[in-house]
Amino acid sequence: MLDATVYERIGIAVGSTALALLISLVIVAAVGHDPLQFARDLIVGSFGSRRAFSRTLQFTTLFILAGVAVAVAFRAGVFNIGVQGQLIIGGISATLAIIWVAPFLPNGVGGGIALALLGLIAAMVTGGLYAAFPGVLKAYYGANEIITTIMLNFIAIGIVGWAVDGPLRPDDARSVRTDYLPDNVALPQLLFENPNFSIVGLAFALVVAIVISIVMTRTSLGYDMVTSGHQEPAATFSGVASKRMIVTTMTLSGMIAGLVGAIFAIMVQGYFIDPSGIGNYGFDAIAVSLLAANNPLGVVPAALLFGALDSSSSYVQINSGVPVQLIDGIVGLVVLFVAAPELFRMIAKRTGLGGDDR
Amino acid sequence: MSVKNEPAKVRLEGITKTFGDVVANDNVDFTLEEGTIHALLGENGSGKTTLMSVLYGLYDQDEGSIYVDGDHRTFTSPQDAMNAGVGMIHQHFQLIEPMTVLQNVILGHEPTVNGLVDEDAARDDIEEICSRYGFNVDQHLETPVEELDLGTRQRVEIVKSLYRGAEILILDEPTAVLTPQEVDGLMTLMEDLRKAGRSLIFISHKLDEVLQIADQITVLRDGAAVGTVDAADTHEQELARMMVGREVLFDRLSRETSVGDPVFAAEEISVLGDRGLEQVSEVDVTVRESEILGIAGVQGNGQTELAEALTGLRPVESGKISFRDADITETGRRRRIELGIGYIPGDRQIEGLVQNYDLVKNALLGNQTIEPYAKNGWLDWGAVSEHADEIIEEFDVQPPNASVRATSLSGGNQQKFIVGREIGHEPTVMVAAHPTRGVDIGSIEFIHNRLIELRDDGLGVVVISSKLDEIQKLADRIAVMYEGEFIRTVDPDEVTEEELGLLMAGKRLEDESVDADAEPVETDSEAQS
Repeated sequence: MLDATVYERIGIAVGSTALALLISLVIVAAVGHDPLQFARDLIVGSFGSRRAFSRTLQFTTLFILAGVAVAVAFRAGVFNIGVQGQLIIGGISATLAIIWVAPFLPNGVGGGIALALLGLIAAMVTGGLYAAFPGVLKAYYGANEIITTIMLNFIAIGIVGWAVDGPLRPDDARSVRTDYLPDNVALPQLLFENPNFSIVGLAFALVVAIVISIVMTRTSLGYDMVTSGHQEPAATFSGVASKRMIVTTMTLSGMIAGLVGAIFAIMVQGYFIDPSGIGNYGFDAIAVSLLAANNPLGVVPAALLFGALDSSSSYVQINSGVPVQLIDGIVGLVVLFVAAPELFRMIAKRTGLGGDDR
Repeated sequence: MSVKNEPAKVRLEGITKTFGDVVANDNVDFTLEEGTIHALLGENGSGKTTLMSVLYGLYDQDEGSIYVDGDHRTFTSPQDAMNAGVGMIHQHFQLIEPMTVLQNVILGHEPTVNGLVDEDAARDDIEEICSRYGFNVDQHLETPVEELDLGTRQRVEIVKSLYRGAEILILDEPTAVLTPQEVDGLMTLMEDLRKAGRSLIFISHKLDEVLQIADQITVLRDGAAVGTVDAADTHEQELARMMVGREVLFDRLSRETSVGDPVFAAEEISVLGDRGLEQVSEVDVTVRESEILGIAGVQGNGQTELAEALTGLRPVESGKISFRDADITETGRRRRIELGIGYIPGDRQIEGLVQNYDLVKNALLGNQTIEPYAKNGWLDWGAVSEHADEIIEEFDVQPPNASVRATSLSGGNQQKFIVGREIGHEPTVMVAAHPTRGVDIGSIEFIHNRLIELRDDGLGVVVISSKLDEIQKLADRIAVMYEGEFIRTVDPDEVTEEELGLLMAGKRLEDESVDADAEPVETDSEAQS
C-alpha cells in the first residue's frame, strides 16, 4: 500500500475516512443521539459560519505544518514522534526571542515583521536542534529514535511547563503564561475576523508545504532522503552518508515542527502557554501525515479534515449533546483505518519483520 | 555405511523451488543414508539452504517429493518436520538470549506436571542426552545463553534438536561462526553423533572441512545438483571444479593495447566484515590503466568487503587507498563517485536499484551530484529521463520503457541497466562485483564486451567473480583471494582452470613455474605470502 499509485492513495484515504465517519454515525445512533443531527453539526460546526470556518483554518494551519514535519521524517525512513516536543521548544523560543529583542526595534509594521521573522528563525533553530539531538543518538549510538523522541516530548513539556509557570510568568498573569508579544507582531487580519487566525498564517503553511514538496522531488537532497527511506543500502551505494542523512532529516523535520510552535505563539495565542494545554498537534500530525501517505502536498487536505474535526467538536457537544470524546473517537477511527496499518507496515519494513512491500 | 536393503533416511526427489523468477532449486535429488554425514557443498546462493529449508518445512516446494524412512511426507511447518525427526541448526541461532540454556532447550516442548513446567524432569532428560553424546553443556543449564560463547550456543542448539527427538540433523554452515578450536570440537561432536546412529546433513562451502568429516558429498551449483560423490573417492580439485563449474565456454580474447600506469591502489588494507571480524587482511591492490584485474575466489573470502572498501562503502581498519597519487583512504563514497570510481555492485536487488523506483529515478541513483543531472543541488529530471532512455536503448533493456519499476525487470535486464548507468558515469576506474551473476548467456556476452571496451578505452577495471571462465576470459591478471588474502597473483594465459580451482580452495601450487612472469605480480602477492 505504501507503493500504491497517487490515485489509489487518494481513494484509500477518502474511502477510509468515509468509513470512519459512517461507523461513528452508527456509534452515535447506538448511544442514543440523532446521527443526522450529529452529521449536520459536524459540518456546520466546522464550515457553517465565517467564524467556524476561520477556526477550522486555524487548526488546519497548524496541522499542515506539523504534518509536513512528520512527513519529511517518515519519507526518509526516520520516525520522528517528537514533533510535539519540538514545537513546544520552537514556540517558547520564538516567544522569548521576540519579547527580548522587541525593545531594541521600532514599534511600527517594519519592526513587527522583523520580530515575526526573528521568531520563526529562532523556532526553526531550536526546534531543529531539539530534533537533531535524537538524530545524533540514533545515527551514532544506535538509540531508537521513536523512544528518544517520545521521551524528549515529556522533557519539553516538563521544562517549558515549569518555566512558563515560574521565571517566565509575569506577576500580574492570572493564568500560566509568558508575557504578551508586542502588538505589532500579530499577523494581519484579512478576510476573517478571528484574533486567533490569519490567512497569512495559512498561506505561510501552504508555502512551507510546497517548498518541502519541491525539495523532496526536485533536489539532490530530497532524492537522497526519499531514497534512504525506500531502500537504505541503495542510497548508501549512491553516495548518501546514511548516518549524516539521519541527522539532516531529523533536523529538517524539527525545524518545521518549530514553526508550528512559532505560528501558535504569534498567530493563535499572542503569548506562550503551559505546553500541556497546547493541542496534540504533534501527535495528530502523525495521523495527518500517514493519511497523506507522507506526501507534503497531500498533508494539506488531510490537515483540513483534522482541522474540521477539531474545530467542530465544541459545537457538536453543545448542539447535539454528543460528548467531545466521541469526536476524538472519530479521529481514532480514521487513524485505525488508514494510519495505523500504514505505520506498522513502515516499521515492519524497516525492521525486516515482514510487511508487504517486498 | 549405507544399508542397502533399507530405505534411505531421507530422500528428496526432484525438488524445485522458485522465488518469483529466480530458480533456487532446480529438480534436485538428494539421498541421506542412515548413520552417515552427508555434506551439501556449494557456493553462497547455490541453493543449499533453500533445499534444506524445504526439507525442514520452512518452504513449500513447487515440485518434488520428500521421503523420510521411505514414507512420503508433506511438511507444512518446521513442527511437522520435527515430528518426523528432522532438526535444523540454523546459521543464525534461534536462541532467546536472556533465557537459560535449560529454558531454551525445552522451549515449546516443556514437560509438565499439573500444568506447571517440570524443570527437574527436563534437567534429567537433558543430562542424559549430554552424557550420551559427550556434550558439555549440562554444567551451563542455568546460565543465560547470552553469557555463552558461540561454540557453546551451537551445542545448545544441537541439544535442543536432540531433545525434540531429532534423528536427522541439518547443520547450516555450522563452522562459519566458530574459531578453529571450536571447529575441531564440532567435528568430534559430529563424529560422535554419527557413531550414535544419527544422520547428519552438513552444509558448507569449505572443501577441506567437507572432505574431513563427510561420508558423501553432494555439490549444488546454481540451484541444481551437479553430482554426489563419496568423500573417499574425491579430492579438492574435483570438488572445486564441480562447485565453480563451467557454464559457457569462453574464449580468451587476445588484447592489443598495452597496460598503462597505475591509477588506483590499495596498500595493505584490512577491512572488517559485518560481524566485526577481519575479512580482508593487509591486501595490496594495484589497478592500472587499460587493464582488467580479476579477483577470483569462492564467495565469502573477503571479495565483497574488498570491493566496498575500494569504492568507499566500507571503511578500512588500516592501510591506504590512493587514486592518481591522491590519498583517498578517508574519502567518502560520494566523492569517490565524483572522482570517477565506478562500482557495479554485487547485489543488484538491494544496492544497485531501488526496486520501487521507475527506471528514470533509478537512472539518477549515484548521479545525484553529477552534471547535467544535477546542478547546485537542483535536479534536472529531463536530463535524467533522457539518460534513462539512452541506457535502455544502448544496453537493450527489456521492456524498453523507462516508466516501469525496477522490480518488474528480469535479473539480466536489471543488471544491464546498472552496467549501463555505471558506465555512463564516465569513470576512470570500474569495480565490477559479479557482473554477470544470474544473467542470461546473451547478456553475459554483452556485459563482458562492455567491460573489455572499457579496458580498451583506457580504464582500470577490477572484476570480482567466482566464475573461473569469466575471470580467465576477462582478466589480464588474476589475483586469487582466499580467507581475506591474495594468496597468489597469476597470469591467466599460463594458469589452468584446475590450478585456479585449487588456489581458490586455498591450496598453494606446488609447481611454482605457474607463477606469472609479469612484473605486476610481485608488487601484489608475493610480498605478503
